[in-house]
Amino acid sequence: MSASAQPKVQTGIVERPFEPAQRPNRARQVAAGVALLWMLTSVFIVRTDQQAVVTRFGAVVDPRVMPGIHVVLPWPVDRVTKLKVQQLQRLVVGGELPDTVTGRAQPLQSEFLTGDQNIINMRVVVQYSVGVPVDYLFRTANVARSVGAVVETALAERIAERNVDAVLTTEKQNIQEEVRAEAQRILNDYHAGVLLSTVNMESAVPPPEAADAFRDVASARADSSRIVSEAQGYANDVIPKARGEARQMQEQALAYKESLINQAQGDAARFTEVAAEYAKASEVNGQRLYLETMEQILPKIKKLIVDKNGNLDLTIIRKGEPAK
Amino acid sequence: MERYRKYFPWAAGAALLLLVWLTFFSVRETEFVLITQLGKPLYSVSDAGLHVKWPYQTATYFDRRLRVYNPRPSEFLTRDKKNVVVESYVAWRIQDPKRFVETVGDPVGAEMRLHDIVWSGLAAALGTHDLESIVSTNLQTVQADQMMDRLSSLTDRAALEQYGIAVMDVRIKRLNLPEQNKQSVYARMRAERERIARQYRAEGEEQALSIRADADRQKEEILSAAYKEAEKVKGEGDAEATRVYSQAYSRNPAFYKLLRTLESYKKIFDDKTTAILSSDSELLKVLMHGGGAK
Repeated sequence: MSASAQPKVQTGIVERPFEPAQRPNRARQVAAGVALLWMLTSVFIVRTDQQAVVTRFGAVVDPRVMPGIHVVLPWPVDRVTKLKVQQLQRLVVGGELPDTVTGRAQPLQSEFLTGDQNIINMRVVVQYSVGVPVDYLFRTANVARSVGAVVETALAERIAERNVDAVLTTEKQNIQEEVRAEAQRILNDYHAGVLLSTVNMESAVPPPEAADAFRDVASARADSSRIVSEAQGYANDVIPKARGEARQMQEQALAYKESLINQAQGDAARFTEVAAEYAKASEVNGQRLYLETMEQILPKIKKLIVDKNGNLDLTIIRKGEPAK
Repeated sequence: MERYRKYFPWAAGAALLLLVWLTFFSVRETEFVLITQLGKPLYSVSDAGLHVKWPYQTATYFDRRLRVYNPRPSEFLTRDKKNVVVESYVAWRIQDPKRFVETVGDPVGAEMRLHDIVWSGLAAALGTHDLESIVSTNLQTVQADQMMDRLSSLTDRAALEQYGIAVMDVRIKRLNLPEQNKQSVYARMRAERERIARQYRAEGEEQALSIRADADRQKEEILSAAYKEAEKVKGEGDAEATRVYSQAYSRNPAFYKLLRTLESYKKIFDDKTTAILSSDSELLKVLMHGGGAK
């Protein structure tokens, strides 16, 4: 920088008042020391997490000075403002003063009106950092207040177009993202130089006056799914059992069929064998079979033997044994 | 007098410094400077940097940064005669320092004026809108954006003209219902929840019943199909057995008849049977007439 030329002229002006002092040597040393200190005001260090803005008589000459050692014109010409650009700042939105009766037990939260005209209590936490250092420093009187107001308005708008169930359950993520985008857009309009990193709905709950009814809905949902899963359990029990039973019936039928056929085939084979032998001497075999059968039958039954002439011949009975 | 002469350079230097001090003035990025002469505003400087004025003129500094003002929440009536509590904010800054200093003077005065403008603007805007068109899940009917845009530009025009204030934005921060209406809202919310809870339970019941009925139907289907199949299989068995028997027996019907007849005898006759046998019968012929008989 061309900083070296001008300060020397300036130092002359400042040094002069000290010259007429009683001890010139001493005065010169003091003057030199003061001059050196003054020169030092033109050197500054920007740390790694910082950025700086340089103004000359109030006007911005370097809007973004990156980390490192830098030289500017000494005070009061140039001024350096350093900012921790990456540091996240936290802001609670929609907070109301805690209730004096219940004390600090309840977290800060405030009421919003949903699209279906339900009231819900919400607390939103915003995190932001410096986006454009110049804007951040010079465009807005109270950055935190602006961020709070803008996020709250974006939030109210998003809540007002959704129904209460969406806000409390499914749409939470979308709302956060939409609020962040919308608030960022408005802040950019204001040239606030702020970068919103997160908008987080820390709590979104129904008002205590209706909380039990909301809880009942949750338990109704649980009840409903319990009943359904019980029914599914029933179905899972009944159907496999029926399938097992069906299988059993089929197997029994197959067993019946197989055994009947086998039996028939056995019987038929036996008959065929016997019939073949029978055919070889049908007279004798017929006689034999007849007699064998009679042997089996007659012992069991009462018998009366009559003569072919029709007279009842009781002699056999009386004699008890066959005649010769 | 002589002995003070050595202080003359000092006095001259001091006078020079004072002159420099009175002539030069710097304007910061955050400021407007209004140059006044004997209390009369002349012109304003908005370019940041070093500037020059006559030493007898005074510079007054005004913050030109954007400010956010939150008017106190107020209750308004919508066109459909519903009370709403509106919390808004106004983003504003000084645009015309001359006008500003002539009319309101300081930010507190400005905010009082803004409050009045915004309040009457909101009252008028809400009075021509139904609550449904501000708060609704039906995005087609929502006109809150247009309403607030119009209010912003109206406020801006009025404030700039009268007070030298630029209004960037008037926005609704929060909409709520007045305390005395909340109880009925809570009651409605509860009723709505109860309805939804009943619906959930009924739907669960419905689903459960249909699952059970379906399971029962499947069970019946499975069992009856199995019965059908089983009887068919049994019938096949019966038919096959009959076929096997008839095939075998029909090859020698006489023998089958004999065999089957003899078999039947065994079953027909038991110990209660009395048979009257002719002595001439095949069995007893030998008994009566001896072995020679043929």
